Order: sequence, then structure tokens, then C-alpha cells
Amino acid sequence: MSIAFCIPFIGILLCIAVMPLVKGEWWESHQPIVAAFWSLLFIIPFGVTFGVGKAAETVLECIIGDYLSFIVLLFGLFCVSGNITMEGDLAGSPRVNIILLTIGTLLSSLIGTTGSSMLMVRPIIKMNSWRRHRKHIMVFFIFLVSNIGGCLTPIGDPPLLMGFSRGVPFAWSLHLFPILVFNMVILLFVFYWIDRKNYCREIARGRVPDISKPGTRISIKGLHNLIFIGMIVAAVILSGMLPDLPAFKTAEGTVKGIHIFGEVTLTYPAMIEMGIILLAALLSFKTTSGKIRKKNHFTWGAIKEVAVLFAGIFITMQPALMLLKSVGGSLGLTKPMEMFWVTGALSSFLDNTPTYLVFLTTSGAMEFTNGLATTLGRIPVGMLTAISCGAVFMGANTYIGNAPNFMVKSISDENGIHMPSFFGYIVWSFCILVPVFLLDTLVFFR
Amino acid sequence: MNYIPEKRHSSEYKEEDLRVLAERIYELDTKVYEHLGSSLGRVFTKDRERCVEELVWEMLARNQGHIVRSDLALISNMARTIQERQVKKELMIEYDKILSDVTSLPTSFAEGDVLNEQRSRLNKTSLHTRFSEKDHTIICIGRTFGSGGSEIGFTLADKLKINYYDAEIFSEVLRRLEAEKDHVYDKGGFPYILDQENKDRYVDTRPAFATEQKVTLRQKLKEFSRYHGLPKKDAIFFNQSQLICDMAKKEDFVVMGRCADVILANNKIPHISIYITAPFEQRLRRVMSVNPRLSEKKAREMLNRLDKKHVRYFKFYTGLEWGKAMNYDLCVNSASYGIQGSVDMILRMFKGEEE
Repeated sequence: MSIAFCIPFIGILLCIAVMPLVKGEWWESHQPIVAAFWSLLFIIPFGVTFGVGKAAETVLECIIGDYLSFIVLLFGLFCVSGNITMEGDLAGSPRVNIILLTIGTLLSSLIGTTGSSMLMVRPIIKMNSWRRHRKHIMVFFIFLVSNIGGCLTPIGDPPLLMGFSRGVPFAWSLHLFPILVFNMVILLFVFYWIDRKNYCREIARGRVPDISKPGTRISIKGLHNLIFIGMIVAAVILSGMLPDLPAFKTAEGTVKGIHIFGEVTLTYPAMIEMGIILLAALLSFKTTSGKIRKKNHFTWGAIKEVAVLFAGIFITMQPALMLLKSVGGSLGLTKPMEMFWVTGALSSFLDNTPTYLVFLTTSGAMEFTNGLATTLGRIPVGMLTAISCGAVFMGANTYIGNAPNFMVKSISDENGIHMPSFFGYIVWSFCILVPVFLLDTLVFFR
Repeated sequence: MNYIPEKRHSSEYKEEDLRVLAERIYELDTKVYEHLGSSLGRVFTKDRERCVEELVWEMLARNQGHIVRSDLALISNMARTIQERQVKKELMIEYDKILSDVTSLPTSFAEGDVLNEQRSRLNKTSLHTRFSEKDHTIICIGRTFGSGGSEIGFTLADKLKINYYDAEIFSEVLRRLEAEKDHVYDKGGFPYILDQENKDRYVDTRPAFATEQKVTLRQKLKEFSRYHGLPKKDAIFFNQSQLICDMAKKEDFVVMGRCADVILANNKIPHISIYITAPFEQRLRRVMSVNPRLSEKKAREMLNRLDKKHVRYFKFYTGLEWGKAMNYDLCVNSASYGIQGSVDMILRMFKGEEE
């Protein structure tokens, strides 16, 4: 396949990067048109070249197989977390922010990066509302809570869930704990000094938090929604386990489901997952007072923006993923260091789940004699560690690297924080994350 | 209604125009949040007067409206999420008008004079032109240890028949925070307290800048809650700031240290800032004469340590260099005038202005 099919993907990324800067208001009201334009720019030439059937199958496969479960999960967590509000007079300071980021990062492995991000984003915005310069807090939030924190369990990040369903033991990712701690310590150290500098700047300009009353009073309302978050996490785990059960397999070994078109099937496990998530969202809305959502400034804007843009991204990304699948094995990647960087670099822009799978399959096909036994073959622990870390960590490199990144950006934008532009964010990740990943390479992947 | 017509030259703009524009921006922000019913991420979180002042300052001093435009963009982000169509429409129309006014601002308001109007406006010595009767007389004195600054401040307050505050502010803050029993040291003051018998003298007892005692984890957690998650010294500073501003609205006074000059400047409260110092050897001599048991070596070490800690304290909370002449309205070398001479000189300046 020609690399020219990747032009629409580059086009939509450039629009996300440039349009908010040059034509902000127009961009906000015309995002669906732009996403549709670039999608069609891929679908039509693809259909002309490979046939309408193949084009329809490719688009449906990506929409039904990937996008639908992606957006339903995001939607569910967005709804449920929007029904939990924290009130109190804890003042956002470097120390409080470090504590919140640490909690959020560790929580990511328990309830997923998306769940943790959605749960923690509003409290952190609220506590720092007395401050004016807050974008660095949200940037580090994306680094740690929305990405790196998800490396410890298959619940943490979808690529690891795919690994789990391919035979990687559930608890295996816990071996990544030293790497997580190493990254957390460095990033939190850097964050502390950046935040301290900004904090001093706020004080010097006379900004003070309201701490007139002695003692801190914190109240969390809508706490029962944690049950619904639990439901969503359970649904995600089920989606990774059910396809392996005989009851969900056909005689040919494929997963049972509703046949849509060609080889596209909406599987029963995916339907069960989405059903549980949507039920959790519905119950959350039914059982929570609208006042809580009002206090949280809950709007549909952020999820709408993500849904529209990621629909375009998922469709236009297909040729790049196809190319990756076809050439992934012939890239000659044999060392953990190479796997870490290539998986990571591609995960920064492409969906990290298929990227992870491509390189996991490549490693499995290398016929290693020792390593972890998976359904794809034996994979040396060093290689698996590098692929897992690359896919999970480097999703933080761009706003589109991982689902919660863009959500956090949208919610922050909507709540009074000047977030960096698409390229501005890449500068942040280039200056802070890339040196940390280089250190990771030296320490863990040599 | 557009208050500022488009394409005007910078000289045609008056500060009043910018103030009206700033008021409109603040008003828009308020309306948006009233309709949303959420204070999450509100752009202007401080009181109206201060926010308006800041906006005017940004439009004037930054020579560009880009910061204001950025604030406006945030307000519009929120406005777009309002459910009621009619309200949303009205607010967006107002937003468009304001944006067009901000965009039409000239890129420079620069003039030849070195006068910093913002600073000058807060200066008590300019009272005759800029101050109303309701403004109180507030004198902020920063001083090096051993320069006789505290005595100068106390005598000045006595002559002017106004209140004198030093460690009293700190004690009040501790009371507010219910932290009297904690191991909290007065980092904004100096190592002495007022001698109750001889009100113009100080005795060396308060362990300011002393190394803090070790606290248990339980105490740490308790303090975390008591100080709203802030470091103890920051919580005290924020409360001191609030207290100084509250006092400034009620009475005339002389306040020693505590970054009071910068706090008041940030809160647009008129005051006069004075820095009192003396050559190191002179201060050393005074410290040793006031405290005869102190050896020269120890006195020297103490002075150096206190100077360094004060520089750090001032820099942390104000971003400014402690003792740098440009940060004050008046700098006095007390060795040149003596305590009484310094008081007389400040009084002459003060009274001359009033006359």
C-alpha cells in the first residue's frame, strides 16, 4: 500500500494542531465537517484502489472493532466521574499537587488511566483555582496519571489488556513497578521545581488561597458513583477474559457475535462490555442529583470534541496501521531498546493498542527459546517490558497518544486553564519526557 | 455598546477607557459563572477592584492585549457551554464586542517619563494628588538586624500617634490558625520581642529563624489539615497578608517587615515603604552593645545568618531582592543619622508633604 494513503491522517493531525490557533471559533463549530472531510479523503481513494467492499470493511472494522468500545468506555467514565464532586479548602501548592499526582498515578493501574484521569482532573483543577498559571500541572497530570501510571496492570491501559488476552499473566505487569517508580520520582522531582517556581510567582503577584478558616474541610459528594466506576472496570476486565471462554467461541475458534459486513463482527464480549458501561453511566445519572453536575461544570463539550475528532483519527489512521502490520516484522527490531523506542514513537501518534499488538506479534514470531510463554510464542521478558513501557509511557508524548490526554486537555480548556497547543504540548513532552525515556533506556533497556 | 472606538492612537486612550473595558471583562466573567452555577476554573477569582486593576495594568504595561485576549478566550470557552440559548447569545455578543475593543488597543502606551504610575499611585508621599481622605497612613519598614530599624519604627509610630505592629501580627495569625500550641516561629520578624516595661526596647528572646523542631507523623498530618495542605510558613504568610490588608482598611499604622510593602502594593493599598540599614560593622557594634554577652564571632555569624535568611524569605514571597533600593520609596542609612535623626528625617518628609 502506498504511503500516500497516510496523508489524511497527517492532515487531520495538522488541523488539530493548527486550526485552534488560526481560526479558533470556526474550528470549534466545524470539527465534525473537518473530521468527515479527512475521513472521506482516505475512504474514497482507498475504495477506488482496493474496491468498495474492502473500504467498507476497513472502516466498519475500525469503527465497530475499535472506536465503539473506545468511545463507550470514555463516555462511561466521563459520565460517572462527572457525578462525583469534591468540595473543600485544600489549597493547591507544590506539596498538595505532588500528593494528588502520586495518588492519581497509582490509581491509574487500579481503575485505568481514563478512569483515574476523569476522577482526579476536577479536584486538581478546583484546588488550584486560586492560581493563574496552571497548565504545567495539567501537562504533568497527562504525563503521569493519563499515561505512565497505567503500566502496572492490564486494567491500567488497553495495550496491556490485549497482552493479557494473548497469554501474558495478569500480575506480570507488576514487574514494571521499579520502572514506574523511577519515572515517577524523576517526573515528580522536575514537577516540584516547576510548580514551586510558578507557585512563588503567584504569591509574589499577591494571589492567595482562601484559608481564612482554621482547619481543612473536605467533602466528597456523589461518592456512591465509585460503585459504577467499579462496574466499568469490571466490564473492561471481562472484555479481556470473555473472548477466551469456550462459550464465546465458534467451532472455528473465532469470537461469537453479530455479523455486520465481510469479516466485521460485533462480538458478544464487546457488547457485554459496552452494555455494562452504558448501564453504569445511566444508573449514575439516575442516582445523582443534577446539582453535583452543575457544581462540576459538567457539559458534553469535552466528550463531544473527543468523539468527533477521534472518529476521524481512527478512520484515517488505518493505512498507517496496515503499513505497520505489513512491515513491522521486517523492521529488524531485535533489542529491547529498539522495541521501546519504535513502539513508543508509533504509540505517540497511532493507537497504542494495535501498535503494541504488532510488536508483540513480531517478538512472538522471532522464535525465542526462553521467555514468557504467550499465545503468540515465547517472548523474552526484556522485550515484553520494552514493548509494554513503550506503548504505555510514550502515549504521553502527544495529545492524541492516549484517549484521556485529549479529554484532560478539553476539560482543562473548558475550566479556565490555558492549555498548550498541540505543538506546544509536544515541546513540553520533548523537553521533559524524552530525556526521562533516554534515562529509562540507559537503566532498563540497554 | 462599544466604549472604545476602533483605531485610535495610543495618546487618545485614557486610563478611564481601559478601566471601563476591564470592568466589562470582569462583568462578563461574573455573568458567565452566575449562569453556569459552578466556580470551577473561574478566570477572575479575586475581588472585583483588584481584578480590574490587574486587567488595566496588563493592558497598559504589557503593551499588548495578548494576555487579556487569552483571558477572554477562557471566558468564551465557558460561555459556550451555557445551556440557555438566549443567555448564551447575549453573552457571546458582549464577548465579541469586548474582543473587538481589546483587539483595537494600540500596541504601546509608552511615554518618556521614568515615573511608574502604578507604584507612584501607592506612594503616600504623593497623597496630595492621588489620595482621598479615606486612605490610611501606613508605613512599611524593612530593616536589617542591628540597624536600629525597630526603634526608628516604634519612635515614628509614637510621634505620629499611630499604632505599631511587629510580632503582634504574628501572634494574631497564630490565633486565627488556632496554631498557638504548635512549634511555629516568626520567620517574618527578628529575634526579639517587645519589653513590656520599656515599650521602646526589645529583648532578645524570640527564636526567629531557629531550626524547627522535629515533629511526628501524627503531628504532620494534623498540621497538613490545619494549614490546608500548605507548608506552615506559607499558611502563616497568607494569613499575615490577609490580616495586614484588613488592618490597612481600618487604621493608620507602622508595620515592621513581613513583606508588608509588597503585600500592600499587590493589593493596591497606598503606603510608604522604607528600608533602613547601616554598615555591617556599625550593626555589629550595636548588636554587641545591646547584648554584651554575645562574642564578636557569634554576633558576626548571627548577623550574616539573619541577613541570608531574610533575603531568602523576601525573595520567596515577593520575587524581589531584599534591600535593593529600587524596591523601596526611601532607603535610610541609619548610621548617618542615628535613630532620632532618621525619625526626624522621615517625619520631615512626611510632614512636608502634608503641609
